[in-house]
Amino acid sequence: MQIEDDEILQGFIEESLEHLADIENDLLQIEEAGSDIDEELVNKVFRAAHSIKGGAGFMGLTVIQDLSHVMENVLGQIRSRKLIPNPEIINVLLQASDKLQTMIEDVQNSNDYDIQDHLIPLNEIVEGNVPQAVIESVPTEYLSEDIEEEAEMAPTPPEEFSIPEPAPEPAVVTAPPEPSVTAEIAATPEISTPSSVTSSTTGNAKKQDPVKMDTSIRVHVSLLDSLMTLAGELVLSRNQLLQTISSDDVRNAEVVGQRIDLITSELQEAIMLTRMQPIGNVFNKFNRVVRDLSSKLGKNIDLTIVGKDVELDKTIIELINDPLTHLVRNSVDHGIEMPDERARVGKSPKGLVILKAYHEAGQVVIEISDDGKGLDGNILGASAITKGLITAEQLQLMSDKEKVNLIFLPGFSMAKQVTDVSGRGVGMDVVKTNLDKLGGQVDIISEPGHGTTISIKLPLTLAIIPCQIIMTGGERYAIPQVNLEELLRIPAKHVKERVERVGNAEVVRLRGNLLPLIRLSDVLGIERTYFDINTNKYKQDRRERISDRRGKESPFFKNEDDNTQESEINTVDAEGARSNSDRRYAASSALNIVVVSNGALKYGLIVDRLQDSEEIVIKPLGRHLQQCKGYAGATIMGDGRIALILDVTNLARMAHLTSIDGTDRATEVAMAAEDKVKAQKDKQALLTFRSSEKEQFAVPLNQVERIEKIKRSDIEELGGKKVMQYRGGSLSLLAVDDVAMVQPLADNDNLLVIVFNIASQIVGLLAIGPIDAMEISVAIDGVTLKQPGIMGSTIIDGQTTMLVDIFEVVGALYPEWFENQEVYEVEEEGGPVPTILIAEDSNFFRNQVKSYMTESGYNVIEGEDGAIAWDLLQEHGDEISIVVTDIEMPNMNGFQLTETIRKDPRFSSMPIIALTTLAGEEDVAKGKAVGVNEYHIKLDKEKLMASVHHYIKQLH
Amino acid sequence: MEKQDQAANKNLVELATFMIGDALCGMDILKVQEINKLIEMTAVPQAPSYVLGILNLRGQIVTSIDLGKKLGLGETDLSLDPRNIIVNSPGEHIGLLVSKISDVVQANKERFEPPPSNMGGIQGEFFTGVYKTEDKLIGILDVEKVLRVEEINQ
Repeated sequence: MQIEDDEILQGFIEESLEHLADIENDLLQIEEAGSDIDEELVNKVFRAAHSIKGGAGFMGLTVIQDLSHVMENVLGQIRSRKLIPNPEIINVLLQASDKLQTMIEDVQNSNDYDIQDHLIPLNEIVEGNVPQAVIESVPTEYLSEDIEEEAEMAPTPPEEFSIPEPAPEPAVVTAPPEPSVTAEIAATPEISTPSSVTSSTTGNAKKQDPVKMDTSIRVHVSLLDSLMTLAGELVLSRNQLLQTISSDDVRNAEVVGQRIDLITSELQEAIMLTRMQPIGNVFNKFNRVVRDLSSKLGKNIDLTIVGKDVELDKTIIELINDPLTHLVRNSVDHGIEMPDERARVGKSPKGLVILKAYHEAGQVVIEISDDGKGLDGNILGASAITKGLITAEQLQLMSDKEKVNLIFLPGFSMAKQVTDVSGRGVGMDVVKTNLDKLGGQVDIISEPGHGTTISIKLPLTLAIIPCQIIMTGGERYAIPQVNLEELLRIPAKHVKERVERVGNAEVVRLRGNLLPLIRLSDVLGIERTYFDINTNKYKQDRRERISDRRGKESPFFKNEDDNTQESEINTVDAEGARSNSDRRYAASSALNIVVVSNGALKYGLIVDRLQDSEEIVIKPLGRHLQQCKGYAGATIMGDGRIALILDVTNLARMAHLTSIDGTDRATEVAMAAEDKVKAQKDKQALLTFRSSEKEQFAVPLNQVERIEKIKRSDIEELGGKKVMQYRGGSLSLLAVDDVAMVQPLADNDNLLVIVFNIASQIVGLLAIGPIDAMEISVAIDGVTLKQPGIMGSTIIDGQTTMLVDIFEVVGALYPEWFENQEVYEVEEEGGPVPTILIAEDSNFFRNQVKSYMTESGYNVIEGEDGAIAWDLLQEHGDEISIVVTDIEMPNMNGFQLTETIRKDPRFSSMPIIALTTLAGEEDVAKGKAVGVNEYHIKLDKEKLMASVHHYIKQLH
Repeated sequence: MEKQDQAANKNLVELATFMIGDALCGMDILKVQEINKLIEMTAVPQAPSYVLGILNLRGQIVTSIDLGKKLGLGETDLSLDPRNIIVNSPGEHIGLLVSKISDVVQANKERFEPPPSNMGGIQGEFFTGVYKTEDKLIGILDVEKVLRVEEINQ
């Protein structure tokens, strides 16, 4: 059949497809509303069907006309409330609209389609023979009556009726239609040739994928107008430019240049806008997908769509469809549990899938979340091991998040059994690959039992991307901003301490995490260089390791540098006057690190120089360079030279830094680093202050309640004691020199009062500034400066600092405060003196804690680390009634000690009190898990002793 | 007479000839898009050794191949003002770096001779034949073969 006017036909097709796209969702809404008919909505669908009918009639598309006509009839009855829509009616309508779509897409052959199996049920509905869920005879009837030979290739009729999508469409007739088909078809000359059958089959296959590569696009007229205006301006500017060039007017050239710059970027923006499409185009079809799939699987699922209006580049919209479909199907099939299972775990039987799109940091984020059973990282991990994708050791080192991300490994299918819905060998790895191609990143967050959220970050457009320009080896490279996390510059003098090395891996500590480092020059196999700011030249860098920065004190320092860069410096630097140390601190030796990530994997790329961030146009590389996996393409810079665009994912692969490897190494490094920290002295938070100008004191920060600023005149001296009015009462004041032999309090007008809470009384310690709170590794000398009121000394920032024993100071001045304190009196209780085992590696703290204990009348046995303490416990097991242990100790730490003790049946009920300098939530939880009874902060004498008393009493 | 001419024309090709090191080579001039001086190029680390770099040809990224290296005739000396022959290739333009451009020679295809058997190895592979003029011998380059990306390297 020949349709004369292509343009009109094209218009009809576009319009009809638009109508149909709406029909689907509208029908679903009508279904939901049920008897509560929304006339407006039904009217809309009615009008859609009507205009398709009208158009088709005009074009002579009789089959389309017929089908839309009966649809219109059914809708008319719904509109006039003669018919109450139920899921079965809607099913028939939906199938009919699918068919319409197929025919309209294949409009040239549309008159050859067989629509009997749509017409019959539709007509029956019109005649009042409303299909009910239970009526099985309806489909059976029309099947047997009309196309018997299809009965065997179709599944059982009732199923076919309730499962619209996967069931084979009876319309795909493999044999020539019966003579009884509509007269119109019979009248058409080239009826049902094999070719037309194939074309209808392909048309049908297309239906599975409603988002096609559109050849035309709708653009708002206002946008076109603005494009026209811009084009006009561009022409004007060009004329100006030509004039300027011919007249050699340099000053004007600048103005014209600016103008063209402005117009170009506006034009670029406007053109990009014409390509923007609402993501709703893709999202909308998921209503149907979820509905059909959930009814097929016997699940009850609601789909919520948020952010339909978010716009994305046309290409991305088209390409995102398949991955999204896969993810939504996964959520419905694997994520949401069966209703009874949901009821069992106390969830609403109705599952929820949320599709959400929103803008974030210049990108579009699409989230697919469900409230289903979530992903269990351990099961995934076990499965990955069984499939041989990772080793058990690797799994052990993985975080929960990484375990969940295992799902993206090629060859990993998460379905326990392969269903026809998902898990057809098309794994999540394919989804990831597809998204990678789009420059997108995908990430999974899952909470077992509560659901899974998959978020996809997409660029707004693919053609022009913002990039960070960097330089290495004298060439420029571009790193897409999508992959860019942050820029890090480590000054030369910090390189040595910040960059650590374990095995072959070089890492840098970044806010507590270890970041694997890759040298761009090494990955690309070019000569290592560094940029010398002083000479503005690139120089060869022959350091083996990044961290090879010799400290001044190093005996190798001179040799090393003479061998490497220094010799070059000397040749370049004619004066040769610059000293070695000068060069070492020059900015040139600082490390420039671009922190990049591709979702799961994050690493630092060491480059020579950082430059601007620019918007670049991606151009493909020639075929000879396809084998260079490290590049995503190339771009032309403002000066006409080319910069290669780096492919962050492949660079990591080239550096053999796969996600698992990376974490493997990072964990190894982390563990090594942790050991190192453990080997160090305990960290202690201290508050430093002064009493006289010359002497610095410190108290443990955790004992301090608050700090007040007062005037000297606020102090009142009554009855030989200093007090001040404070919060409606009197605050006892004291100074360090009241008790200790130190210089007297400075004669300042402005004073500070450090408020402590001791023996349930508050007391203020007079002090002067500067005060500072710091966390330091303390090596406390408990001998040299020890005296009443001073527990010892340490060196802070090069200054000897005395640690004030506030308990002792208060005790000396107000002994009566401690009288009513709970003190274990051996005599009172009778029996043997209880013995306490103290495990603590720091001499100072051990002595300190020991003194608390002995003061209270206990016997004390000390162990210098966990292992020694354990030996002592085995030896004196019967005597020891309580264990007080430090957490961080060499050989065997507090957790391990606790675990060992708990494992031994003899000591299973032994009270264990852990002492820590800073009780972190995590540590407390870990301690409780292994069997620590209580946690106390070191030097918090009162609480510790109260707790010891408590446990001792329990034992007696 | 006319017929003869036509037949002769049919077999006539214009060869763009150039020097690769000391060797005179030629290729069908219709394959040549343009010939440029050596412009600034961007090196591509990790690229095959015969790829000199990429250059910006009026907004298009063009891969430049050192013909001397590719044919095993030795690296082209960049200081001797070499030329880039930009050839048309499906989907892209590719630059072939040669030492020097020589004349355009009219040649009769019928008079092409197979490459001498002792021109074996890497070189022989890329030549379809030789053409003898009065005073010199031109090696006819098989451009397609030269531009083919060998799979082995990948």
